[in-house]
Amino acid sequence: MSAPSGSLASLSEQLADAVARSAESVVAVHARPRLPSSGVHWRDGVVVTTEATVKRLDGITVTLPDGARIDATLIGRDPGTDLAVLRIPTGRLPVARSGDPGTLRPGHLVLALARLGDDGPRVALGTVSATGGPWRCWKGGEIDRRLQSDVTLYPGFGGGPLVDVDGRVHGVNSGGLSRPFATTVTAATVDRVAGELLERGYVARGWLGIAMHPVRFNPGARERLGLSRDAGLVVLSVEPDAPAGRAGVLVGDVVFAIDGQPVESPEQVVDLLGGGAVGRVLALDLVRGGARSRADVTVGERPRRAG
Amino acid sequence: MTAAFAAEAASRVRGGVVHLRVGDSAGGAGVVWPGGVVVTNAHVAIERRIIVRLPDGSVVEGETIWRDPARDLAAVAAPGLAALPPVEPGDAGRVRPGSLVFAIGHPWGIQDAVSVGVFHGVGPIPTGIGVPEPIRRQAWVQAAVRLAPGNSGGPIADADGRVIGVSAMIVAGLALAVPAGEVESLWRGARP
Repeated sequence: MSAPSGSLASLSEQLADAVARSAESVVAVHARPRLPSSGVHWRDGVVVTTEATVKRLDGITVTLPDGARIDATLIGRDPGTDLAVLRIPTGRLPVARSGDPGTLRPGHLVLALARLGDDGPRVALGTVSATGGPWRCWKGGEIDRRLQSDVTLYPGFGGGPLVDVDGRVHGVNSGGLSRPFATTVTAATVDRVAGELLERGYVARGWLGIAMHPVRFNPGARERLGLSRDAGLVVLSVEPDAPAGRAGVLVGDVVFAIDGQPVESPEQVVDLLGGGAVGRVLALDLVRGGARSRADVTVGERPRRAG
Repeated sequence: MTAAFAAEAASRVRGGVVHLRVGDSAGGAGVVWPGGVVVTNAHVAIERRIIVRLPDGSVVEGETIWRDPARDLAAVAAPGLAALPPVEPGDAGRVRPGSLVFAIGHPWGIQDAVSVGVFHGVGPIPTGIGVPEPIRRQAWVQAAVRLAPGNSGGPIADADGRVIGVSAMIVAGLALAVPAGEVESLWRGARP
């Protein structure tokens, strides 16, 4: 017998313990042809997975850690954050033990878990590569924290949890958002999106119904109008029967502030339309025909694509 | 100790890892098995005469004495093997998912490179990954550990340095190895 390897063996034991604890809440999701994806039992009777791996609306099943394969109902999906929510019977398996992604620092060891069938859990190991504050992913959704790791998300790992060495779940891994590092949709965002999907079946996004482009005022106009900055956003189009149009916004208006805050890029406006913006009134300060004006726009709900 | 990570366990296993090649090929790895023979993949030991580079750097000529292409295993005899420390075979069935494992081989010709990953399980490959059915159904040590051409025939070991499998292929990025127990029973059955 060789001598035990001390700390390496104990680290290995700790990782296997973390997997044993957290894998009890990881299921296989059969919602596409061939290879399943993974899902996390986020609340009792609620499984969260990745939106992009849900390819059918009916006939979805999940494989539980005990090997049982049961029916699941699609509650809703949010392409913006790549999350989808399924309903299963309550009381079938433990709820994932959530961690605080704010405690993870670059260099921390993390595990990606998956389940592909009625055999054991699947695991990949890596380190946290980057952390940070709120960001908007390329699919358009807002995520409360940046959490990227060098864990390899093998086929079927999408929708599985990112787990720390104590077995706490910090979020749901998205293959679709991973470019090139593995991207985790962090726990608070999973909570928020799951809550909205359970409440109304989709995530409402704010909508003004206008297209805008950055412009600059010339020094003379700026001085005459008494503007503190020279930047604004010119309205290129106004959609009929949309919030901005109803509030009287016209093509050619130049918006220079919203709620008193200067705006100079369309992204700033998009940021104002995130979670909870629907129904809020935004005060648009604008220039029309050489004079200052104002429009109060009640943020609407962005029309959703059919299907 | 912690800073050394896998270095200590890896250095023990390394003493039982050889480099095998045929002709001008980049070749693969082999594991010095108890009994003084090198176990490798059948797709590495493709000819009877094979060049064996021992852990101390010396090069000897070996002979392929057994091949089982269906399980992708082979055994090679060579002078000097009896003096080498054999690896200690381990039972993959006792390793838990998420445990640390490491592979040793010669990826892209780099001698005795170590890669670290985690154990998934031992058993058939999941359906839907696109592996031919007869291969899929066999028992495989499956691990998320990075392999490259040149790792074939090399060991996958647990955190205590016990060899739980002989690396055979990469499927969907996953390392697949023939379980050590199966290596042992097939080779014992074939042994002259």
